Amino acid sequence: MARYGMVINLDRCTGCRACMLACKVENNTPQGICWMYVFRLEEGEYPNVRIWFMPRPCMHCDNAPCVKVCPVGARYMREDGLVATDFERCIGCRYCEVACPYGVNQFNWKKPADNYYLDWHDKELLPVTGGAVPPYKNPDLIEASAREKRHISGGGQRIGVIEKCTFCVHKVEKRMKPACVANCPTQALCFGDLADPDSEVSRLLAQKPSYRLLEELGAEPKVYYLGKIPSTERARQIEEIPCLLKR
Amino acid sequence: MKISRKTFIKSAAATVGALSASRILFRGMEIWTPQSTEAAPVLTEEWIPTTCWIGKQDCGMLARRINGRVVKFEGHPDHPRNLGTLCPKGMAQIMAVYDPNRVKAPLVRTNEKGVPGQWRQVSWDEALTLAGEKIGEVRARDKKLLVWQHGRDKAPALYREAFVSASGATMLCVGAQCSFAAQKAVSYTVGSTGALGADFRHTRYLLAWGWNITGGGGNWLCSITWPRQMLDARDRGMKVVAIDPRLRGSGAFADEWLPIRPGTDLALALALCHVLIEQGTIDRDYLKKYTNAPFLVKEDGHFLRVKDKEQVWDQGTGSAKPCDAEGTVPALEGEFTVGGTRVKPAFQLFKEHIARYTPETVADICGLSADAIRKLGRELGENAMIGSTVIMDGIELPYRPVAIMAYRTGQQELGFQAVRAMVMVMMLLGAVEAVGGQRLGPPGPWGVDENFWLLDEVKIKDPPSDIRLEGSKYFPIGSGNSSMVARVMLDPQKYGVNYIPEVLIIHMNNGALTFPDQNAVWESYKKFKFIVTIDPWLSKTADYFADVVLPAATIEKYEGPLSVSDQYTDATALRVPPMNPLFQSRGEIEIYLDLCEKAGFLFGQGGYLDAINKALALWESHSLDLNRKPTAREILDRWARSRGIEEGIAYFEKKGVKIHGTIPAKRFYGSAQTPPFEGLRHRLYGESLLRYREEMQSRGVEEIYWRDYTAFPVWRPLSMEASPPEYDLYLVTYKMMEFKESRSSHIPLLAELAPEQRLQINPKTARLRNIRDGDPVWIESHNAVTGETRRVEVKVAFTEGIRPDVVAMPHHYGEVARHPWASGQGPTPNALFFSGEGYVANTQDQSYHVKVRVYKSGMSHG
Repeated sequence: MARYGMVINLDRCTGCRACMLACKVENNTPQGICWMYVFRLEEGEYPNVRIWFMPRPCMHCDNAPCVKVCPVGARYMREDGLVATDFERCIGCRYCEVACPYGVNQFNWKKPADNYYLDWHDKELLPVTGGAVPPYKNPDLIEASAREKRHISGGGQRIGVIEKCTFCVHKVEKRMKPACVANCPTQALCFGDLADPDSEVSRLLAQKPSYRLLEELGAEPKVYYLGKIPSTERARQIEEIPCLLKR
Repeated sequence: MKISRKTFIKSAAATVGALSASRILFRGMEIWTPQSTEAAPVLTEEWIPTTCWIGKQDCGMLARRINGRVVKFEGHPDHPRNLGTLCPKGMAQIMAVYDPNRVKAPLVRTNEKGVPGQWRQVSWDEALTLAGEKIGEVRARDKKLLVWQHGRDKAPALYREAFVSASGATMLCVGAQCSFAAQKAVSYTVGSTGALGADFRHTRYLLAWGWNITGGGGNWLCSITWPRQMLDARDRGMKVVAIDPRLRGSGAFADEWLPIRPGTDLALALALCHVLIEQGTIDRDYLKKYTNAPFLVKEDGHFLRVKDKEQVWDQGTGSAKPCDAEGTVPALEGEFTVGGTRVKPAFQLFKEHIARYTPETVADICGLSADAIRKLGRELGENAMIGSTVIMDGIELPYRPVAIMAYRTGQQELGFQAVRAMVMVMMLLGAVEAVGGQRLGPPGPWGVDENFWLLDEVKIKDPPSDIRLEGSKYFPIGSGNSSMVARVMLDPQKYGVNYIPEVLIIHMNNGALTFPDQNAVWESYKKFKFIVTIDPWLSKTADYFADVVLPAATIEKYEGPLSVSDQYTDATALRVPPMNPLFQSRGEIEIYLDLCEKAGFLFGQGGYLDAINKALALWESHSLDLNRKPTAREILDRWARSRGIEEGIAYFEKKGVKIHGTIPAKRFYGSAQTPPFEGLRHRLYGESLLRYREEMQSRGVEEIYWRDYTAFPVWRPLSMEASPPEYDLYLVTYKMMEFKESRSSHIPLLAELAPEQRLQINPKTARLRNIRDGDPVWIESHNAVTGETRRVEVKVAFTEGIRPDVVAMPHHYGEVARHPWASGQGPTPNALFFSGEGYVANTQDQSYHVKVRVYKSGMSHG
């Protein structure tokens, strides 16, 4: 059985945030919700300053705190290692949001149909979009996942539930790469089977030193970082995205 | 009874305790309504290849269309520039296409200009008839009264070539706000059309000189392609030195940072020349053979000419010989007498000129350390590997793996000469168009720009021939700057211009925000009698100044042809509509066809169709019939067939991009030509610049115009330094990866990432002014020549990666269009810059430097 993970090469990330938007368009996440986040980081004092960028998807932890705390089993780990959210089971208690050390869970405070940036009910638009909200609504997301027949793809499903990065489960099941990985202009993101020694992710991890975020907490994240050096407490964000800070 | 989730939870809430408990205990027994009880609909999926519209790179796209609805744009895997990926702007285009705030139908203004418009929706026929009448009428009287201003021209052959030539309009572009100062310096010096780029596959040492690597700042392919090529080069060990007042752009990939004071790049370049000459790391062979460095110069600064030919001193015979004589061994140094005239080789004069630009002197000017400058010169000399060669495609070529990436360094008061000085650093190293060395042209095969000769042979027009002052006694090397045009329109007598244009066509440009000085630009727009804009949005400019707005489509149109080389692979593409134009918008090609018809110059000889035949070089068998109006698709089909593509446009509708293959070394490197550089002598010594200076002086033009027309670049204190000392900070600007120009910050997917303008400031600088991170401040600029001030309010953002005497504000903002997401975003820095004398280069190109002061808002003064 595959065990999917990600390797992110920080020596190649230019912080462009295209992955954030690729995810958003593919997964139809509502306004104010971004599953992928790219930190723009700075450390030091003029003129001895270091700048680098760090994409942060869901870590799809092997020992996920969010799975442990979910009272209704909406959050679970699949056999292939993806940590999924059954949005029909989720009761919106937000325990996962509290438990996750990486802050990847996002809550739908608003009714998604009213939370997609603009008014898509413009009558001149309807003949073109057929009323789809948003107009780029992805039909791949309504299918139940192939294996366990749960609805675990896509964002903006309903008010009052949690959502997070799914590693584009709807694409992975078709043997395709997650949207962020496929789109990265500098090929900084790599996705694949950590259990396969010949996969690209395995080869990268074998060739170069890597680290994971907050390893000491024992969540066993499956997202590895190469390149640069791990940030310290002295690192600070620049160019934070305001709507995501307020959450 | 079917219990939906909603009713279940409602009833659960009514009897909280017991029911909650039972839900947990009886987990498997909830009854859910499945999301849909119908069978999944049958979906037909299509992938339509097209070309991104939003940015500069014209990246290849595939539009994913399901049951006729486009749901996503993804990168085209075969397109050499983006290889299956998209930057955030391209990914956000899906929202721009569907945006209900686009202009849906043609609009006619019903109120006065200079305030937000009140609009009447009209039919296309009415709008085109009205605009066509105005254009036709003014053309009949005097074509000079018609002006065509473009911003983003996405089909140059059809717009800025064919339409401009057929209409006779005076064309204004945005080059003066962009790369023109740099391009002119490059074409004057070495004959290429471009700024400074790198042969990334072979470069080993790169100066990111004002190159905003991660912010989409740079010439040509700045969003995706250059960053990727740079990263691949770093994987092979390329070292990067960032020369920039601000670190954010290149800092993540820079091995060293030289935080240079704004506006002093010319001095640094000359100091590097000084170090290179001092340490002897110069390519004498290249200088002797391929530049005018050995040409003999008289005491009056002009070349010695015998029978109209420049001369060199032949060390073999101990005499002067024509510069193109065979078998000479030209001297680079020394002092000689030829027929009683004392002469020196230009290179001798250069050494004398450079002597005073020591690292110690220049360190003070630039705010850097002399050691850092020396080290840079030493590393350039070592890495250049002067004298070495490499075999490329079987040809032995010079190998000089050092390069500068730069273009924004042209956007300053000394821009033209600063870039000349930077090119001269590379000339001394022999790295111009060498393998791994300095690239200077657009991505694609090497070629000579006719400006190499045109800029050397300017016949000064006095009085100026038109409002652009091109080739005038004020700006002999100057190709039009809309900011200057505004000033000319407000005071034509001052510049000797005897007319004010009447009709303005604005093509995809937001000049009311893009062009400093905003006061002058806004006043000049009011002077136009009729303005028609072609734009998908009701831009700020259209809203405040247009008489007629013609809604253009975004990506949903046929457009092209587009050259889409990544510098190594040659390719061509078209923009193909993945859906029909939304609302009543139309592609520009079709708008122009109708507009020309209404204005009376579509058909016949000299009409728009005739001009298209020429601009697209259509084969006779595929030429447009001059008396029948075609569609845009038909025009591009004929173009494709005229390029030997048998399937015509159907090829692009299926495949999206035509790869022509790798550009061979013979066509790639200027040094690989036979003879090298096609025999051009690169201009170390700019004799004609001196000639222009003398003529400008004899025509009585003020010093502020002629002072930077010098044969060698000369450092002088900048005009802005004369501002009073309370204006103690420099304002610089930068681009952001999220946005493109002044036409994207309203797109919600992008605006969400960066919703508001910010002024980047060093924390120490801020604290000295009692300003905390995120505080709103006034930033006030000062014009040292006129004494005017401007100010805007903006919030600050702390960063340690910026010189303490510099503040930085990105472009892109300014409430760019009438759109719910645009309002409240904050100002454009163009509200602070000035134009005109002291704030443009000697080539008339815009400077983006000004002295400012910053103080907390709420206080009357700092």
